[in-house]
Amino acid sequence: MTGSAPDIILETRDVSRHFGSQAAWFGEKRVVRAVDGVSLAVRRGETLAVVGESGCGKSTLARLLVRLIRPTAGEVLYEGRDIGGLSEREMRGLRRDLQFVFQDPFSSLNPRMTVGTLVEEPLRVHGMGSRAERRRRVDALLQRVGLRPEFADRYPHEFSGGQRQRIGIARALASGPKVVIGDEPVSALDVSIQAQVINLLEDLKDEFKLTLILIAHDLAVIRHMSDRVAVMYLGEIVELAETEELFARPLHPYTQALLRAIPVPTPHRRAAAAGVKGDVPSPLAPPAGCRFHTRCPLATALCSATKPDFADAGGGRFVACHYWQQAAAAAPAPHAEAHRTAAAQRRFALYRDRSEQQERLRTAAAAGPTTT
Amino acid sequence: MPAEAAFDLAAVPRRQPLLTVEGLSLRLQDNRANIVDDVSFAIGSGETLAIVGESGCGKSVTALALMGLLPRPPIEVVAGRAVFEGEDLLQLPPRQMGEIRGDRISMIFQEPMTSLNPVYRIGDQVAEVVLRHRPVSRAEARGRALEMLERVKIPAAVQRLDEYPHQLSGGMRQRVMIAMALANDPQLLIADEPTTALDVTIQAQILELIRTLQQETGTALMMITHDLGVVAEIADRVAVMYAGRIAEAGPVEAIFDDPQHPYTIGLMSSVPSLGGRSGRLAAIPGMVPTVDALPAGCRFAPRCPFATPACSAAVPALRRLGSGPTSGHFAACIHAPLEASSAEAAS
Repeated sequence: MTGSAPDIILETRDVSRHFGSQAAWFGEKRVVRAVDGVSLAVRRGETLAVVGESGCGKSTLARLLVRLIRPTAGEVLYEGRDIGGLSEREMRGLRRDLQFVFQDPFSSLNPRMTVGTLVEEPLRVHGMGSRAERRRRVDALLQRVGLRPEFADRYPHEFSGGQRQRIGIARALASGPKVVIGDEPVSALDVSIQAQVINLLEDLKDEFKLTLILIAHDLAVIRHMSDRVAVMYLGEIVELAETEELFARPLHPYTQALLRAIPVPTPHRRAAAAGVKGDVPSPLAPPAGCRFHTRCPLATALCSATKPDFADAGGGRFVACHYWQQAAAAAPAPHAEAHRTAAAQRRFALYRDRSEQQERLRTAAAAGPTTT
Repeated sequence: MPAEAAFDLAAVPRRQPLLTVEGLSLRLQDNRANIVDDVSFAIGSGETLAIVGESGCGKSVTALALMGLLPRPPIEVVAGRAVFEGEDLLQLPPRQMGEIRGDRISMIFQEPMTSLNPVYRIGDQVAEVVLRHRPVSRAEARGRALEMLERVKIPAAVQRLDEYPHQLSGGMRQRVMIAMALANDPQLLIADEPTTALDVTIQAQILELIRTLQQETGTALMMITHDLGVVAEIADRVAVMYAGRIAEAGPVEAIFDDPQHPYTIGLMSSVPSLGGRSGRLAAIPGMVPTVDALPAGCRFAPRCPFATPACSAAVPALRRLGSGPTSGHFAACIHAPLEASSAEAAS
């Protein structure tokens, strides 16, 4: 986080976004502190995940990063330059570099535009290429995300959820971005389709040398896709670590609770005790001191009085907890793996071999007639 | 009744079947193929059966059929029986079904806000369920409502009685739904994705609550979900559905430790592991067929890496696997066990 060694592409410095409701009929004006004093540096080429539950501010943070909304306070720097103060005109150039993939692709796609027009739009807006060149690029993009080029003449409603997300991804890639932010890009999809889109995103990230910021609540997806993870709670980042480290040894009691709460797909480790009690407090009135203290099993008087620093825990890890050393000592055991029979393991290996083989055949067949 | 239809009552010999579904087939108007096709299963009293599958597999519509809540038209029952305590639920007139629903069988849904009436107080809504089915006074029903809110561990239950649904969090609303559903001590609770809309820490609380209440009351549970983690957490037995049919069924350990159907294996391979990165996910190619384009024979064949021409020739039977009549593990795949049949193909 010092910024000296790693190559930082996008960064927030003490950034906040408060949503004020106009004063109610009675009482004072109420303010939702959706994001409150977040400093986060995204390294070039990494996949950084931001995880948290509803209302933790992760989607607001995502929108701040690409300036879909402006911060109330603090700075957002892209390639070292503060983008908070740029005019919309100046921002337009940057939008080529910073693209967004939404959770619900349908609501983010104009239903009256054909798929081809939708994917072409960013190219047109940025004045990229001639009409014919743009058409060719749209065809190539559609094919790259696994859609047939003739789909360009159809409308979004004709497609399934997974296909719409592929359209959303093609559109995000059209302008040749450097950073793609996915706000729950796979969470609305069925498991088998989700796996396809995860594979696609990973392939595209390598192919287009993207930096990927993944906003998600599904820890298994995050574990699979990301290099580093930032855990958010009530508008603040409470822990930041390399993915492997975070899952092997979570330091913050909230991270530990999240990990304990996931139902694991093996029946041999039952009763994943509810990690924490109670609900997330309202962001209209976040608790004083450490915001997690109302639900934390380790909380003391210190926690309700004093806000913990986001402290360096060594090894590139940061944690905001007065008692993280004690918490770390009581970290939950790493997750139990499946207890598959030897025959079942052979079956899974066979399944993987065969499906990869068939995927290669399909890719070859799809590429065959259209390559020139 | 086909010998293997109610797929594994033999595996739970000490239990009485509470509900036996045989050959349930449902059809969507103007379509030739059944959206639920020849589905059979049984639930023993006190046990938990999970029905797992992706969108469109028929899991929710099966539950609606059992509850007499099918939108008909457009959906019609083509065939089948669902015998609950000696009565065929599919044949009951609406009035009688209404007597059972909310009393001996109740149901909770994914989004409690759509099942709670926003303009009535919570206490009144829970009390209403009791009044509907029990000869009690208003005061007694309200007492029962309070008792139920306390049982589902709603803090400050007395105050909550007079609140409205919008004043509660999502997790608390789901607790109210559970309180309503269990108010009359049903023999069977059908839960359709009850934790899907909830955050993971709240989901863990609700699953724990359901499990505890089930142990206390002995209610049987039919859990409908897409989440294999939830299945592993709560089920005694599992039925995996794909495109309207049961692909595989059996005790929860057999399904997770020794899955046999290529769809089950593909589904499990699609879920990223919490144990660490394992390269690309072995995803299932393609997508679920639409109702008007259901393939002949095995409906999974077009997406299956093990498919042969024989797969599309006939509908595969749900065959008992393993040795002995009590194995209770069934799969609808002509190639199961896959490791044996692919060795044959290679030789």
